Amino acid sequence: MSYKPDEGALIAYLYGELDGAAREKVERYLAGSEDARRELEALKAVRDVMGLVRDKEVIAPPLVIDNRTRFLNFSSPVLRTALAIAASLVLLMVVGKLTGVQVTASGNELKLTFGTPRPAQETPSLDVMDVQSIVDARLASNNAALQEEWKKSQEAFNANVRESLEKNSSQIDRLVTKAAAASEEQISAYVSTLQAENLRMIKDYYKMTSEDQKEQLEQLLVDFAKYLQQQREDDLLILQARLNDLQQNTDMYRQETEQILASIISNASVPVIRN
Amino acid sequence: MGIFKVENRARTRDLRPIMHAEILQDIAMMHSDALLERAAQGDQKAQGKLVQLWYKRIYNFGFKFFLDHDLAMEVAQKTFISMCRNLPSLQDLGKFKAWLYKIAMNYCREEARRKQNSRSTPFDRVWNLESEQSPRWETSASRIDDPDRQYQRNEIADILHTALMAINEDQRAVVIMKEYEGLKFREIAEVLNISENTVKSRMYYGLESLKRILEKKNINKDTINYEL
Repeated sequence: MSYKPDEGALIAYLYGELDGAAREKVERYLAGSEDARRELEALKAVRDVMGLVRDKEVIAPPLVIDNRTRFLNFSSPVLRTALAIAASLVLLMVVGKLTGVQVTASGNELKLTFGTPRPAQETPSLDVMDVQSIVDARLASNNAALQEEWKKSQEAFNANVRESLEKNSSQIDRLVTKAAAASEEQISAYVSTLQAENLRMIKDYYKMTSEDQKEQLEQLLVDFAKYLQQQREDDLLILQARLNDLQQNTDMYRQETEQILASIISNASVPVIRN
Repeated sequence: MGIFKVENRARTRDLRPIMHAEILQDIAMMHSDALLERAAQGDQKAQGKLVQLWYKRIYNFGFKFFLDHDLAMEVAQKTFISMCRNLPSLQDLGKFKAWLYKIAMNYCREEARRKQNSRSTPFDRVWNLESEQSPRWETSASRIDDPDRQYQRNEIADILHTALMAINEDQRAVVIMKEYEGLKFREIAEVLNISENTVKSRMYYGLESLKRILEKKNINKDTINYEL
């Protein structure tokens, strides 16, 4: 009973393309499953409805097949490519003919020439000794020029150093003589002015700080007085509230007591009936 | 109303034997090995006969695939040109049917791709808008029928064709080959170059899709019998 045909088996059954054993299995399953039967019926109904589409009548037109096209099909991409290459080659040949292009390959060289080629000019060749002597001569002249230049720059540098040394020493000498010329009196006067100025600055500082301290202290006292006043008022309020609570409690107790007393009295006044 | 229904059923039943006879005759001729062999050897007369025999089938296959006469004609033409050229190279003549549908299917796909790529609309379709929307009684095949009934039949055929066009292209190809061309699942698998199970699965889901579409349009056997 665990067998359940897949859609492929169902559709093959619907079109009668299942062999004996498989068909029996599907039939057994269908016999036991109402849903599967209904599904198959629905598919069958779709087939029936779609089967109403009829073929359209049509007459075959005459078909002319040109066998030559099999060998010379210009729409073939291979043939088109081959033709394009051939056309390019022909074009190249024509242009080459018109411009007189000559291509020669000899040994390791490939020559492409336009028109008639000109003979190569003979150039005088140099041997190793000649080249060596030329190089030596050039090196000697370069060395001489370098040495001369170096000498010139060294002289210029020395002259520059000497000049700057002379200038600096004269400045230092001037400063030393100026400092030595200042007298002892002038120094003491300068020191006394410095002291007086310092004294004045310290006095001003003390004065300013004492005033600030005084103001701060006064402010502190005022704040403290305010705080105390506030604290007292709060305490009074709390006390008042407590007293009120006490008063209320007292009243409540009194009322309860009165009620208890009233109930006791009323109970006591009822006569006791005895058997 | 009941009598009317019975009458209609009787009429539709009467048509079936004629159709079956035609199909049987066609099938018998289509599988004529001698004709195929002669055509494969390059006998142009045999090839012409083969084209005559199969033209209607391939045209209708294309028509149901595209719901378009011109495209169906195009596909049929190309298929038979290809058939005549390549028949000599067909190794197993027993597989001729699947081979022919494979060619037709390939051309259908090619045309579908071309149709998808081109955004132009044929001029005659723009010009003949009115005639497209008008009843198609003038193109009806049978002129001996009652025109009213013929009109209703065409209308139903249009609806069913539209339903067929509404399903997925892969499923549509399988449904047409199975339901209208009568190919075996094995042959369809060969045509489409896929497994037999995939073919059956596509057939199942194709029928399911058609069922949903027909339910939406409220079309079933009873309503069609009533209409006819």
